[in-house]
Amino acid sequence: MGAVADYFANIRDAVRTTLTGLKITSRHLWTQPPITVEYPDVDVEATLPARYRGFLVNEVEICTGCLACAKACPIDIIYIEVERDEATKERMLRRYDIDLGKCMYCGLCLEPCPTGSIHFTPRFEASTTNLGDLYHQFVERGPLPIYKNPKAPGGAADSEE
Amino acid sequence: MAEVKTELMTLNMGPVHPSTHGVLRFQLETDGEIIHQCVPDVGYLHRSIEKIAEGLEYFQFMPFTDRVDYVAAINANHGWAVTCERMAGHAVPERGELLRVISAELVRLASHLVAVGSNASDMGAVTPFLHALREREKVNDLIEELCGARLTHNYVRIGGVSHDAPKGWTDKVLRFCDGFLPAVDEFDRLITFNRIFRARLAKVAVISAADAMAYGLCGPNLRASGVDFDCRRDDPYGLYPELSFKVPVGQGRLGTRGDCWDRFWCRVQEMRECVGLVRQAVERLPRSGPEFWNEKKVFKAPAGEYYVRTESARGELGYYVVADGGKQPHRVKIRTGSFAAMSITEPLARGLMIADLVAIIGSLDIVAPEIDR
Repeated sequence: MGAVADYFANIRDAVRTTLTGLKITSRHLWTQPPITVEYPDVDVEATLPARYRGFLVNEVEICTGCLACAKACPIDIIYIEVERDEATKERMLRRYDIDLGKCMYCGLCLEPCPTGSIHFTPRFEASTTNLGDLYHQFVERGPLPIYKNPKAPGGAADSEE
Repeated sequence: MAEVKTELMTLNMGPVHPSTHGVLRFQLETDGEIIHQCVPDVGYLHRSIEKIAEGLEYFQFMPFTDRVDYVAAINANHGWAVTCERMAGHAVPERGELLRVISAELVRLASHLVAVGSNASDMGAVTPFLHALREREKVNDLIEELCGARLTHNYVRIGGVSHDAPKGWTDKVLRFCDGFLPAVDEFDRLITFNRIFRARLAKVAVISAADAMAYGLCGPNLRASGVDFDCRRDDPYGLYPELSFKVPVGQGRLGTRGDCWDRFWCRVQEMRECVGLVRQAVERLPRSGPEFWNEKKVFKAPAGEYYVRTESARGELGYYVVADGGKQPHRVKIRTGSFAAMSITEPLARGLMIADLVAIIGSLDIVAPEIDR
């Protein structure tokens, strides 16, 4: 092929392939329903799957204070204090804090938990102007008696004696 | 003709330039549009992950491998799990292995979608990027249902996986596979064979097979240069030897083998292969059975030095571990594909235009945290 024929063949090829692309784009414009979600207006939390890793919470009522979650955490953001009540000789959960500002939401703390007290919630809106708001304290009104699960390894079995 | 006196100019490209994927910075010595020297400046993100590993137990390092390669996190997880299992000689139940294959291939596909999409977007075509992200969103939804996270999955565990597949999940995966191949065909018509796009990529920054080997390139970058090597097939791990798949190799369809377009095309072809692998794995998945190596004890690796490599989306992802017999690794070194790809940009970019450097970065599929680690 000569140089001139090549030149025009190139132009024809460029126009043809570009028009093919434009055809696909315009078809999508008219036939595709929107795939985006209008976030603040739509309740996204309700559509999230059950395993979604949002905020980390601990149900202190069923926590055995066994420290397994704190030991599994790679960045040590779970702070637990367990004390023995002088009067009743019962082990009490005095402090259970999670610093969500540091949390990397890996979920390693859930796996060794004997009672499933620590778990994720679908709540994900964590933006705040104050970093301290992300420091969550779960023991609010004085020390709680820890949950006694006879089958659980660790904490509960120790307090039976 | 009188000689025109020119002066070299220093131009900083990145780290916030949209075409320097993630956070990369290039110090360019340019003469007008021509690059005389290109010095990559790295280290802006997620550093010293290898050092963090020395202070953690083996299983605790798993979420950090997500950060090594955040576009294909499960591939990096898989590599670390395979490394730990080889060290201690653990076997994984078949269901666990198959779930690993499904998730890893889905994520590899999603990673290639970002690679080809952002390559097109760097070349000035925004629509294909949106199409690629739309498909990636479907993968992300599937993975989110499987393990609860969209980016840092932390799904694979030493000895298995963290969660079994939820009910009806495999059907959704198959439905996605059915819809994905037509989407790739459409993507091809949209951009891959577009004349202008081809002109931007073809015969630009050609890497010969010998050069690719010398610089230690791996993955699709190496295969595009004509070297037929894939860790999944040639250094097998997991269940890959029992699954059948083709390894796409650069054919030089547009004249030169190993140019930017070949690297792009290799990734598009690999996405199709991923779908086949996912299908095979889903078909083999037993109805029930353990997905986890179920022996509750502390993981300890015997003392020694180990190097285990797996095929990540960006090529060979190798973990070199010095173990001292305890619960923690003594030293970890991670070998990643992007690091090698980064080292070759310097000789490749010499004498090319600045716009071609964008094509190089896009086609090599560089992910910044893989370089910094």
